[in-house]
Amino acid sequence: MKKLIIISGIILITGIITLSFKTEPAKATNYPILPKDSVGSAKAFMSVYRVLMSPRCMNCHPSGDAPLQGDDSHIHTMNVKRGIDGKGIYSERCSNCHQAENIAGLHMPPGNPKWGLPPANMHMVFQGRTPHQLALQLLDPKQNGGRTKAQLIDHMANDDLVGWAWHPGDGRTLPPMTRPAFAAQVRLWIAKGAYAPSAKAK
Amino acid sequence: METNTVSRRNFLKVSSLAGTALCLGFYFPANAKKEQLISAIAAEQSAFEFNAWIRIDTNGKVMLTDHRAEMGQGSYQSVPQIIAEELEVDMKDINVIFAQGDQTKYGSQITGGSSTIRGSYKKLLKLSATAREMLITAAANQWNVPASDCYAESGHVIYKPSGKKLNYGELVTAASKFTPPQEVKLKKTSEYKLIRKPLQRIDTPMKTNGEAIFGLDKRLPGMLFAVVERNPRLRGKLKSFDDSAALKVPGVKQVFKVQMIVFNTTRDGVVVVADSTWAAMQGRKALSVEWDDSGFDHVNTEDIYNAHQELLKTKDGLSFKKQGEPEEILAKAGKKIDVIYQTPYQSHSAMEPLNCIAHYQNEKIEIWGPIQAPDWVQGDISDKFKIPKEKVIVNMTFLGGGFGRKAFLDYTHEAVAISKQIGKPVQVVWTREDDLTQGPYRAGISYRGEGSIENGEISAVKFKMAGQNIDHWNGPARDKANGSTGEGFLTPYFDGIKNISFEDVPYEMPLPNMWWRSVYASTNGFAYESFMNEMAVLAGQDQLDFRRKYLKDERCQALIDKMEQVSGWKNRRKNEGFGVAITECFETTVGQIVKVSRHSDGKIKIDQVWAVMDCGWYVNPDIIKAQVEGSIVMALGAATIHEITFKDGLVEQKNFYAYLMPRMTDMPPVEVHIMENTSDAGGVGEPGLPPFAPALTDAIYDLTGNRIMKLPFNLNAV
Amino acid sequence: MINITVNGQRHDIDADPNMPLLWVIRDILGLTGTKYGCGVAQCGACTVHLNGEAVRSCVTKINRAAGQSIVTIEGLSLNNNHPLQLAWNEMNVPQCGYCQSGQLMSAAVLLRENSSPTDQDIDDAMAGNICRCGTYQRIRAAIHKAAAMQTGGAKI
Repeated sequence: MKKLIIISGIILITGIITLSFKTEPAKATNYPILPKDSVGSAKAFMSVYRVLMSPRCMNCHPSGDAPLQGDDSHIHTMNVKRGIDGKGIYSERCSNCHQAENIAGLHMPPGNPKWGLPPANMHMVFQGRTPHQLALQLLDPKQNGGRTKAQLIDHMANDDLVGWAWHPGDGRTLPPMTRPAFAAQVRLWIAKGAYAPSAKAK
Repeated sequence: METNTVSRRNFLKVSSLAGTALCLGFYFPANAKKEQLISAIAAEQSAFEFNAWIRIDTNGKVMLTDHRAEMGQGSYQSVPQIIAEELEVDMKDINVIFAQGDQTKYGSQITGGSSTIRGSYKKLLKLSATAREMLITAAANQWNVPASDCYAESGHVIYKPSGKKLNYGELVTAASKFTPPQEVKLKKTSEYKLIRKPLQRIDTPMKTNGEAIFGLDKRLPGMLFAVVERNPRLRGKLKSFDDSAALKVPGVKQVFKVQMIVFNTTRDGVVVVADSTWAAMQGRKALSVEWDDSGFDHVNTEDIYNAHQELLKTKDGLSFKKQGEPEEILAKAGKKIDVIYQTPYQSHSAMEPLNCIAHYQNEKIEIWGPIQAPDWVQGDISDKFKIPKEKVIVNMTFLGGGFGRKAFLDYTHEAVAISKQIGKPVQVVWTREDDLTQGPYRAGISYRGEGSIENGEISAVKFKMAGQNIDHWNGPARDKANGSTGEGFLTPYFDGIKNISFEDVPYEMPLPNMWWRSVYASTNGFAYESFMNEMAVLAGQDQLDFRRKYLKDERCQALIDKMEQVSGWKNRRKNEGFGVAITECFETTVGQIVKVSRHSDGKIKIDQVWAVMDCGWYVNPDIIKAQVEGSIVMALGAATIHEITFKDGLVEQKNFYAYLMPRMTDMPPVEVHIMENTSDAGGVGEPGLPPFAPALTDAIYDLTGNRIMKLPFNLNAV
Repeated sequence: MINITVNGQRHDIDADPNMPLLWVIRDILGLTGTKYGCGVAQCGACTVHLNGEAVRSCVTKINRAAGQSIVTIEGLSLNNNHPLQLAWNEMNVPQCGYCQSGQLMSAAVLLRENSSPTDQDIDDAMAGNICRCGTYQRIRAAIHKAAAMQTGGAKI
């Protein structure tokens, strides 16, 4: 009985949060508006979540101030730190090693022109977040870099640095689905109402 | 005839100096017991091969030939500091050049065994005091006063009664004609003005502005660059290679097979010669090579240690040392321990990867490089290329670290072979991957320790080691125990422990291995001193007090007192782990105390290391402290961060992303103390390394109750 | 031809645009103070300043530096008198010295951006540079010393 109340409570809260995004200007949409489907939306997000929690995405969305490395997501050697702009500090700026493109060869620094972590004022942590937490976080402009849902989709589908995850250079595993499939799941999640999975979802 | 001509030419060079500058050196007759101190003129008269160790010119400047390599250990500072003391000159008036390899002129030049100072300081003191006395005599003669009324100071001879003085430069011509006196008076330790002072190193300025020339920095006119794709397995053969793509890489000049001699075996390779290092590397990437590894034992690390365990448990070893009847006592003892310790293979991984320049010119070979043993290289190249020794010129550059690896003869031989083939000077560059994956390595060794306690006293100790023996690469002697089985173990223990034995169970393996900083003490020390700590626990006694009972030697007692005092050993608090170890190698004893605690993040942190070194007579306390600090960092890495492992006969660690190094964030605060005494000089560069690992693991035991038996271990997971 | 400025001097480089800056500096320009240590941006021995940032020249292709300004250890100061160089000498920091060019170039960026770095700042700036001789304790002390010299008005 108690359990049921908690779940209803969560659905209610989720609903309220979803509602708060209804004010977006319609012209900015890059996704269809589908009938509300909390189950289908949350299911789509679970696919999105698996990608975001893969090392290629999570390693630069760490819970601490240091990026992670490798498929085991160990803390970056060299004690690299986020810095204010997310691009490192002092003599350990990301671009001191990470170039505009990957360097061929195993264990060579991967690269992208925008290589870095989210900035200090917008940590966008993935590591350690439950699907529920991460969905809410991604939808919250205060935590997602001020993005509307449309911008969020655009970021996931088209951003060059996000896209690096699917071209990570020699020896790095890929996220569990292709980028178009990923983008489709993001779109579906939002189109069906942008529901967060239940707090118990893993 | 050819040889004579060269001698003659050398002769003329000497003659031009003889009679003007004051040149003193030694002659090391091949069969004589002792070197002879001689002047340039004496050398000329007796037709000795001569090269001045010190030369004082008419401008009063001193040219000092450093017979040893400078690989960080400080010979470039400590040798002139010795000379300046007895010669009475200012450090700024001494210029240092590196000697070329030649045993007849310099005696042993191997920069190994922590021998730079201990092996030569008495000669250097005598040499410089002799020059000083000759200059004083020259001044006294000129003034027509008794030499006893004159003294030397800061490059001048001064007449005490009047204070009048002459610059050394004005005296060298006269002094050069004297026969060097047989006996000279050396200063007492208390009279030193430079020795025992923490003077700034004279090689620092050139190491802070990029001027210092390391092996990789040396350039010759027309020099080409080469890299070699070598068989990843020693003894494996080259089956075939296709160089068509490599030869298309811009800058690549030539590709051919080369064979490098490694001990008594070979490593096949394909060399790519180009006009830049990068072009050679690109050419190498474009090679396709097929190796023949048939018949080679494709070893795995796990198998090595399983074999060690088996040997230690089932085989009797060759006896290295035995006193009393340890086995009989152990068999009857009630209170005893029987434990096994394991240490890993390690790479030297000097920051400057191996490299060597060779120029083969028909009748003559010249070599430049980061070389720890130029005299050995000279002999080796002379033998292998059948060219008289005096035509093999071996030049030392600064070494970007050595740690034993650059005392090996493979990389120099290979460079000469390549130059011989192309007929041009060539710099052979090893990539970091080459440096890490080709060895030779410090062998990983396993140890069994058995010991018993009766009435609170050690009644018997038996040590057995199983691991590769470096000596077996060079000769047979397989029926004798490893000569270094006891290395690291304090000699005075043998007076305190009546029943003790050391055995070596030979273990053969086709992995090339080699000295690594502090050699066997680096692994022995962990086993033997961890064992002493376990014995102290078994006896229910404090580790330092326990050692006091068995190390009655006066110097050891003083060392332990000092360790206790500087570390605040008696005031240890709860939640702090303190560990201790003391080892001896190269005539120097070092004790270390490590303090650890568990921090708020749950991880154990090394809060402080105290090191106390007794190296007897010493030159520069700051260099000593630096060497001990560095030894501790190297030991920290080897104990907690990196190891070389083998899979299917191949090394798994290819670069620093897999063979991780301690970094700034790993550095614990280290405090170094030096014991003051006037005993003979011991080594400095290596003895600080062995006690660290056992002291650290003892501290962890003290904090957690968990005794670490196997290195390396993850400090973050204890 | 790729134009780069090294220590204030312009050079036209005729090289493969993929050639790492390290080898251009060492093998073409003959400035050997910048060292090869690992070739994979792990050790920091090759650190130079590219427009003031402490880049690892072993993984930085020459074309990234086109039209840009590079400073190597040879150009860190006019007379070996950068506060860090003075402090390095005073504290006897180098042993073998091979990594020290890179250490100094990294430390110089730290000191430029933070005139009185804490131990934590030093950890954050210097952990990208490996020293096999283990001079870390002295590097830390020398950076503090140089910071003090700088604020004390020492010449740069």
